[in-house]
Amino acid sequence: MKSEPMDAAVIASAVAGRKCSAVEVVSASLERIAAQEPRLNALITVMADRALERAAFIDRQVASGGDPGPLAGVPVVVKDNLCTRGVRTTCGSRMLGNWKPPYDAAVVEMLEEAGAVIVGKSNMDEFAMGSTSEHSRFGPVSNPRDPSRVPGGSSGGSAASVAAGYVPIALGSDTGGSIRQPAAFCGVHGLKPTYGAVSRWGLVAFASSLDQVGPFSRSVADMALTMDVIYGRDPRDSTSNERGRPRFAEGALNPSVRGTRVGIVREFREGVLEQPLAKAIEDAALALGESGCAMADVSLEESVTFGLPCYYIISPAEASSNLARFDGARYGLRMDAPDFVSQLLLTRGAGFGDEVKRRILTGSFVLSSGYYDAFYTTALKVRKKICAEFDRAFTSADVILMPAVSSFPFKKGNFDDDPVGMYKSDLFTLPVNLAGLPGMTVFTGLERSGLPTSVQLVAPRWQDQRLIKYAAVIEKKFGRSPVATGGCF
Amino acid sequence: MALTFETVIGLEVHVQLSTNSKLFCPCPTDYVGQEPNSFVCPVCLGLPGSLPSLNARAVQLGVKIALALGCSVPRVSRFDRKHYFYPDLPKAFQVSQFGLPLAEKGAMPIFLGGLKKTVGVTRLHLEEDAGKLLHGTPDGRLSGASITRVDYNRAGIPLAEIVSEPDMSTPMEAREYVLSLRRLVRYLGASDGDMESGSLRVDVNVSQKCSDGRVGGRVEVKNVNSVRAMERALEYEISRQREVLLSGGQVYRETRHWDDSNGSTRGTRGKEEAQDYRYFPEPDLPPLVIDDSFIRAVEKDLPELPWEKRERFQVEWGLSSEDASTLSERLDLAEFLEETVAHGAGRGSAANWVKTEVLRILNETGIETDALPFTPRSLGALLAKVDEGSLSNTAARGVLEVMGREGLGLEEAMRKAGIVPGGVKGDLLTEAVREVLQGHPEETALVLSGSDSSGKKRKYLQGLVMREIKGQALVGDVSAAIDRELDLMKGFRE
Repeated sequence: MKSEPMDAAVIASAVAGRKCSAVEVVSASLERIAAQEPRLNALITVMADRALERAAFIDRQVASGGDPGPLAGVPVVVKDNLCTRGVRTTCGSRMLGNWKPPYDAAVVEMLEEAGAVIVGKSNMDEFAMGSTSEHSRFGPVSNPRDPSRVPGGSSGGSAASVAAGYVPIALGSDTGGSIRQPAAFCGVHGLKPTYGAVSRWGLVAFASSLDQVGPFSRSVADMALTMDVIYGRDPRDSTSNERGRPRFAEGALNPSVRGTRVGIVREFREGVLEQPLAKAIEDAALALGESGCAMADVSLEESVTFGLPCYYIISPAEASSNLARFDGARYGLRMDAPDFVSQLLLTRGAGFGDEVKRRILTGSFVLSSGYYDAFYTTALKVRKKICAEFDRAFTSADVILMPAVSSFPFKKGNFDDDPVGMYKSDLFTLPVNLAGLPGMTVFTGLERSGLPTSVQLVAPRWQDQRLIKYAAVIEKKFGRSPVATGGCF
Repeated sequence: MALTFETVIGLEVHVQLSTNSKLFCPCPTDYVGQEPNSFVCPVCLGLPGSLPSLNARAVQLGVKIALALGCSVPRVSRFDRKHYFYPDLPKAFQVSQFGLPLAEKGAMPIFLGGLKKTVGVTRLHLEEDAGKLLHGTPDGRLSGASITRVDYNRAGIPLAEIVSEPDMSTPMEAREYVLSLRRLVRYLGASDGDMESGSLRVDVNVSQKCSDGRVGGRVEVKNVNSVRAMERALEYEISRQREVLLSGGQVYRETRHWDDSNGSTRGTRGKEEAQDYRYFPEPDLPPLVIDDSFIRAVEKDLPELPWEKRERFQVEWGLSSEDASTLSERLDLAEFLEETVAHGAGRGSAANWVKTEVLRILNETGIETDALPFTPRSLGALLAKVDEGSLSNTAARGVLEVMGREGLGLEEAMRKAGIVPGGVKGDLLTEAVREVLQGHPEETALVLSGSDSSGKKRKYLQGLVMREIKGQALVGDVSAAIDRELDLMKGFRE
């Protein structure tokens, strides 16, 4: 049995070709998880029994000549804000207690339909609010590249699971950068699809107009494979849609970018980034230039200036609404109280952590009468301007190359007393959510310190497959993401 | 100078739309009498991760009502979230339409004592219903620690909220408005409009304008669960508000609760505690786009509206205002009437028969017209015979009864009722008349002596003849036969 983590594509063909069994692959994954979890704390729930049962089912399916699907026997991790039937789904919060959803998220169905085996539910910032994966009822996640640092957030557990080689593929959710920022911090690829490209059915909502589910992987081929599985319209999600039926895997195999234009963002050129990250952008631009791309100068001035305040009005507003349902009456935590209002207050007081409360308060404030127009209405206008600015940028570029983060992963505890400092770290990712665009963090290498560098690609709406092509070109130049060896430990 | 008052009334009517499934999920809607919480799913329970999908049928019915009310239906409307915490509201927000409703600016005619008045409709929007709280004790006793249970079967049922302009000024007008609206939604098949079961609910807004220029605050009265309750609540509120103003006080804008058992309203929350619903666009639903072809399709499906029918019955058919109103009350009844006419009955006799004989059966049995034991075709044919004089009303009633009881067609029923085709004429008729006159010598003598000035006795005798011949003759023929016999008797005497 191979103990070295394998790519999803390799596993799927090995399992389908009966070169190895799904049970072997999943067992190896569970062993790595058992060995490293004490240090990483990337998972909230390990689904060992269910995963092994599922793997055995796939092996039987293969044995009886059935088609086990494109992800046959591939162990995957999904973020713990994705509903799994009968398996607790906590969102990293006390509030949900041990709530076991009676249904699976659409992406969970699709993964399992494709033969994937879910081995665990990943740790996260409570209700996906945070950029460090420290705001979890289940304790902070460590960065597999350097355990003294955070893995980023909020999908830090999923990013860490892929970086540490638990699994080749994990799903996260991205509301303001919660896939792309932890991907950058953990040194893996992470893709946030076009808003509406992947069903949100079964994703516990943070900010509905911004949330999107997307994958992490260590190779662009695996990213493409996963996108082929989860992309597409779902009638249960009225905001989902699809334009054509892109073949992501083909794009990863034959990445032709010759003759296209890569937009370099004027505002991000100087002084904003830590030097190695700035160099990653330059190197990626060079690599794309060598492949026949022309560089174009684009401006995202409004996004840079107004994106942050706009996002921190719209997302808490929607969050305050989405999280209002947690009243202790039907599921999750319930504090005993003599009447409904006291139960409501006590339950919400005890169930939510500080960061979540901060956002609920902010959101309720910006939606309250007297402040609504000044904050919420204005933010909606700004959002339109940001969309328009990206549209303009895409008239002179086919894809935008920009940083995903401005720094290496933070030391743990860095933002304990500085929530706004943490918010600011989302500057490069959240405008993409505001505009509903597809964006991808592409791993570009490890520094001598062992810390990763990366770039972010942003494409026009419904051009998710473009991200895969450019990422494949970059990956050819810089190599794929290696499994974290354990860094300093 | 004594102060006078003017009452201003506006109504918000919630109508449960007759869809098969809920507004945002596939759960069934016929929850009445079902086990609590048996018609629920992740969506209507508001479980984390669930998302709404709009029921197109609800939109169709909403647009149908809107078009019937003459509202304009904008191309784009939108759903919003209305936030408040209450255990019957699973998501702690109600998905409703606030900024851009489904329809705006319509009107509906109402009739009071034959006079027509038009009440403006401000807007119509779609929204989801909430669950139901069931109060009780843990062990079902009436006293002891109280416990509240929630039944979410109703949560997510589609509602159309129809907001009127403050165009009404008396409880009677409010009553007519609600009845007209109920008639309309029933005509349209958009709702069963049943107030007792809660599928039509009314919130009342009422205020006073005083002749000295003072204007009382608008009071919203909730918990009026029948048309009668609404009238009583309005009457109570109007006199309460007038008394406050007369004693120099101020009427505050507030929400009051109608207590049907003691016939009064009481304040629910303080005036300063205005609710902030923190509306914002529902991000889980894209804007609702209604294009022209959708509207045209719904328009094509619109029946003649109740007030149009009523007016046609009155103006074209020459029915009295009362008859026109009665006969246009129910669409099935009105259509039965029109088909009866289409099958040969005269408008007048058909109207008479439908409003008496047919309506009586419907009211007695509680059935719909399509369950009647006779069809408008056979009734039409029967009444055609009455109209042409070959059958008396009495005979026709007998035939109708047989048709109903035995489920027979017209010809068979007539045979069964002993009706001779062509009726009783000539010698047979004369024979019958003689028999009656001879059998009732006192009455006959009175008539002969000319002291039956009111004609009562004569009518009585005529009725007896009709009964004798099972109504199978024209009134005129019977009358003529009686005259002939009386003349003969006179001549015999003289």
